[in-house]
Amino acid sequence: MSATTVPANLYAAVQKRRNRGLTGLYLVVAAFLVVYAILFPGLLSVGGFSKFTQNWFPLALVTMAQALMMLNGGISLAIGPMVSLGAVIAAVTMGGPLGVLGGLIAVSVAGLFIGAVTGGIVAYLRLPAIIVTLAGSFIITGIALILLPRPGGYIPDWFSDLLAGHTPVAFGLLVLLLIGWKLYLATPLGLGIYAAGNNPVGAFRSGVPVERVKVFAFALSGLLAALAGLFVAAQTGSGDPVIGTPFTLNSIAGAVLGGVAFLGGKGTMRGVICGSLLLSVMINVMFFLGFPPVAQYVAQGLIIVGAVAIPQLTSQWRAKP
Amino acid sequence: MTKTKPLLEARQVFKGFFGNPVLKGVDIALEPGRVHALLGENGAGKSTLINLLSGALQPDKGDIVVDGKPVSRFSPAAAREAGIAVVQQELSLAAELSIAENIGLGALPRRFGLIDYKALSASVAEVCERVGLTEPLDMPVGDLSLGRRQMVEIAKALFRKPRVLILDEPTSSLSAHEAGILAGLIRKLRDEGIALLYISHRLNEVQALCSHVTVLKDGVVTADQPLAGVDDEGLVRLMVGRDAGDLFPAWQDHPAGAELIHLKKFSAGTALDVDFQASAGEIIGIGGLVGQGQEDFLLGLYGAIPASAEKAEISGSHRPLKRVEAANQAGLAYVPADRKHEGLVLPHSIASNLLLPSLGNLVKHGLRDRAAERNLVADLAKRLTIKGDVTRPVQALSGGNQQKVALAKWLPLDPSVLLLNDPTRGVDIETKREIYLMLQSFAREGKLVILLSSDTPELVHLCDRVAVFREGRVVATLPRADISEEAIVGAAMGVSAKGAAA
Repeated sequence: MSATTVPANLYAAVQKRRNRGLTGLYLVVAAFLVVYAILFPGLLSVGGFSKFTQNWFPLALVTMAQALMMLNGGISLAIGPMVSLGAVIAAVTMGGPLGVLGGLIAVSVAGLFIGAVTGGIVAYLRLPAIIVTLAGSFIITGIALILLPRPGGYIPDWFSDLLAGHTPVAFGLLVLLLIGWKLYLATPLGLGIYAAGNNPVGAFRSGVPVERVKVFAFALSGLLAALAGLFVAAQTGSGDPVIGTPFTLNSIAGAVLGGVAFLGGKGTMRGVICGSLLLSVMINVMFFLGFPPVAQYVAQGLIIVGAVAIPQLTSQWRAKP
Repeated sequence: MTKTKPLLEARQVFKGFFGNPVLKGVDIALEPGRVHALLGENGAGKSTLINLLSGALQPDKGDIVVDGKPVSRFSPAAAREAGIAVVQQELSLAAELSIAENIGLGALPRRFGLIDYKALSASVAEVCERVGLTEPLDMPVGDLSLGRRQMVEIAKALFRKPRVLILDEPTSSLSAHEAGILAGLIRKLRDEGIALLYISHRLNEVQALCSHVTVLKDGVVTADQPLAGVDDEGLVRLMVGRDAGDLFPAWQDHPAGAELIHLKKFSAGTALDVDFQASAGEIIGIGGLVGQGQEDFLLGLYGAIPASAEKAEISGSHRPLKRVEAANQAGLAYVPADRKHEGLVLPHSIASNLLLPSLGNLVKHGLRDRAAERNLVADLAKRLTIKGDVTRPVQALSGGNQQKVALAKWLPLDPSVLLLNDPTRGVDIETKREIYLMLQSFAREGKLVILLSSDTPELVHLCDRVAVFREGRVVATLPRADISEEAIVGAAMGVSAKGAAA
């Protein structure tokens, strides 16, 4: 009998396998980026790159937030409201005695706390995430409107310049977040997301603390969405209690483009990043090509359906003898 | 007889669900260095007892005792700490994760809070070697066949270095080769002093591996004794509480009628160049190791996957059937192996499951004819001895009764060809016997029964002919006189009967 095949570096081998099925996405993203760079050569300058990544940054964050929920086998309808709340809290607190640092802490704590509470309700009461987050979206929107009924508040100019100025700080932050994500996935709790999303009963029997995995994932998801809100506030220089609304559906679109499955446990963060990048570039390219906004929505929808249908069709076509 | 101290015991445990008592004062004691068999029909309470012993459920009354000490709140975590590992019937694997990650899941080695992939790789390689898993450790489990996944599941249990190992129907999806490796492994673990609990519907395995048996019937222990000197009939008697006679009904000669299927170089999926003939009134067995193209052969016949052939006569059609509807019209019916997903709509009632294939025929003025539906359901329930309320969801039934429903729903269409994919897998003995009698009566009525089975004795006792598959091809077609377990297994493994016995 032949011996067990042991890869020389198990971690690297496992990571390499996760690229499977993403080649097409990588190529499409690359093609769109090339088109965009041709249409808008400014992309290749520091300023242009900074602006481009700043537009992409909040979408990347909310797509990651949504992907965390979808990997757990649920879907969140509260992403947009969380973004709004993050923006509102930043705009309300940064002018206060605690300043920017205090605002940062307040936004992070709110994101983590609301995420963890939602996660706790879903995990321990065994309720479907889509319903709990639907309810949550009303509550969070309400809180945001109470805190700041009209757009306003205060964000220091230096902070706006730092995050949304002419330097690629946002891109640097994204790289840091990705490193953090990689490290999280390399912990038993992070890996547990895949196990719990794929086969919750099996994961429970294997000794994966399924509830704790969920609560952590929801909390991180909330944090990412709230931080996206903070960034949006810095970009606009003020808070707006409904600014996050489009992010809910865009986060789902980005995750789907990135190959995250609705049933849980399937999807990769590299796919998610590419998915959000693709969505962001797509919107920009259509804008530069002069599509009217309505046509942009229709095209966006068609591209998303196509992104899901094409792999399905090719696999069916391949299966034919 | 020396008395060794049991590692794990249940003492007078009671457990019920929604007021239905399932276990009524059960004792069991697992001793080191012994393979203990747990037998009982489906619904006898075996799964519940396993769940109590592994901490997945808490007893309503009674104690779980580890090393002689009762444990007050026995959780899965406490069970793991006590060195108890379970190989469940339903797989606990995550399809997207690699073999190594799955095996380590819940017990992953860490360094600085991160998973230590180097240490994981080394320790997983060791258990994989023991169970004969040769696939790359980084391969996603979703890419493996059912049998290989079961081996991963076993490796996962061993990875935790258990003192007590509970195996729930571990061989139901394994090939003969894999089952052989497992049997050797079980003996080795026993000699190392591990306490093993072995649950199986396959009595020959129990006889070969186990030295002690506990038999459950309706939630009480009807026997707890050494296995030596008890033969298969004795075991069956203990399980059903009466003399069940032979498991297999006596052979009845039945004349073959007109030829219904004639294939030349028929290919579908992994089944390649199959020559095959069968006539009305025959029971034809399809045998071989798991996953050698048998299932694709049936699906191809049924028009569920694309098929091609040099010549194909299938129940009046002169070419392979292209669609399932066409197959149904030609008189073919297919009972899938995975009854929970493919054979039944689990949350729906027994009645609506039974009606599903006939709905189109029971129509009056364009609407459903409720009276005719009721009559049909009543008739089928009687013919199948399905007791109780037919409005219950089918998932409330035991595996055996579910299978009866999956089979019976085709009867009103009066199919002339029945394609059965492992109809008795995970089915209790009494229901097995009922299913065997059904198959015989189908043949007597002049139907053609094609029986794919992973249970070789079934093929030996029931079939007029057995086609043995290996790597997609029929390597032997054994006539009635030549059918024996040795001949089937030998052909399946590609060796002579003598070699296979070794």
